[in-house]
Amino acid sequence: MRPAASITDSNHLPFTGASEATFSAKPSDIEREVMELFEQFRNPLLRYSLSFGVPVHDAEEIIQEVFLALFRHLQSGRSRKNLRGWIFRVTHNLTLKQRHANQRSFDRLATDTAIAEEQCDPSPSPEEHLSAAQRRDRLLAVVRALPQADQGCLRLRAEGLRYREIATVLGMSLGSVSISLTRSLARLIRADGR
Amino acid sequence: MRSEDLHLSDHELLQAADGELPARRASQIHVHLAACWDCRARMAEIEATIGDFARGHRQALDPQLPSIDGPRALLRAQLAELASKPVSPWRQLFRFNSPVRTAALVGTAFLLFFVAAMASKFFFQNSLRAANSAMFTSERGAVPNHSLTPGATRRVTVSDVCSLPREQVIAEVSAPLRQEVFREYGIVNARASDYEIDYLIAPGLGGVGEIHNLWPEPYSSPIWNARVKDDLEEHLHEMVCAGRLDLATAQGDIATDWIAAYKKYFHTDTPLTFSSRLTSALNSLPLR
Repeated sequence: MRPAASITDSNHLPFTGASEATFSAKPSDIEREVMELFEQFRNPLLRYSLSFGVPVHDAEEIIQEVFLALFRHLQSGRSRKNLRGWIFRVTHNLTLKQRHANQRSFDRLATDTAIAEEQCDPSPSPEEHLSAAQRRDRLLAVVRALPQADQGCLRLRAEGLRYREIATVLGMSLGSVSISLTRSLARLIRADGR
Repeated sequence: MRSEDLHLSDHELLQAADGELPARRASQIHVHLAACWDCRARMAEIEATIGDFARGHRQALDPQLPSIDGPRALLRAQLAELASKPVSPWRQLFRFNSPVRTAALVGTAFLLFFVAAMASKFFFQNSLRAANSAMFTSERGAVPNHSLTPGATRRVTVSDVCSLPREQVIAEVSAPLRQEVFREYGIVNARASDYEIDYLIAPGLGGVGEIHNLWPEPYSSPIWNARVKDDLEEHLHEMVCAGRLDLATAQGDIATDWIAAYKKYFHTDTPLTFSSRLTSALNSLPLR
């Protein structure tokens, strides 16, 4: 039994009993490695996932799932070659799966996008002055109108992936990635009126 | 005409800008660009468009990105949970494809089947119960992340906790505090009906309603859920008030691993309500 003490004591200290001995086990090297990769890639992966039109909370769950899968991948001693490509590929696959599950809401989003594109004249007259935000919106509308694979190449390149990694993520050949990027940029240049 | 004198295609200009060309060709292109205004102007056009897209891509999506703090904490907790589970020996076994190992596995399976068929109903019942216990001990979310929820108590005596009015024993957690707990665990768009914000150390054992002592316990945990924990809290409270258990020990046991504490104080591997359901279900099975 403990000695009598005041119940009004307001110093609520975290419990430091036997729990510390049991739960303060140091994270393993693999856990640390996964957390470092999470710090590095969480935002790029989240942007990539969001660019498919999945809601933020779904994208967050996907990223969690990706890093848990990465942990299991590393824990079972599988290949560490091209981990960045691996992480993006798993994100890509899970995002497509999620988007398929959310297809109805995505269709609604696609309709919104189509309306936005209609409202956005892709070939403004040279006299027309466009603000930076308008130019950006027009550029992004052109990107959304590109074929899915071209969008993927462009967005993955924007996140810093090399052609070889993009080819792995999207299951394309190296040459196709290069051609896709050239084609997309040509369209963007035309839309930008450069 | 030398190869570096020919005008460059957009394709090559982009590959050069992206550093995707072999070193020799890249160097030829570098020489050509130094000499050719036309190609340099097209290169600048490509670079400017890349810049516009890269900026637009980030500006459109970055405002949607929530803070990394919650997801980081959640991932750390989930990794710790995963890491604490031993790698399944079955997965290790099945990673080898040698015929000898396969034969051994098949033989073992037959042997196990034979033993299982010979086992008495009593043995079957106990092993099933044990299997259920082992399986459900690792239910997701049934135990808190101890780095976020180590448990927190106030200084109380036994007579203090035993004389607490009932409304303080079952104190509700305020809505802002609930939201704070969800945020801490990185749970976005939580539905109140999916989780109970539970005290790790119950108020009836001196636990306080602050963030270090609260965690979101999913109702979806089929066995080790909030209702089972309530039974344990009540049992420990009774033991403490009857002088059969030291208050500090009760606090320590429930904070360390409440499921282990349940098993220890109720002398069972499965929650009593679940055990009785399982037993009645097994009893209804026809005897072979």
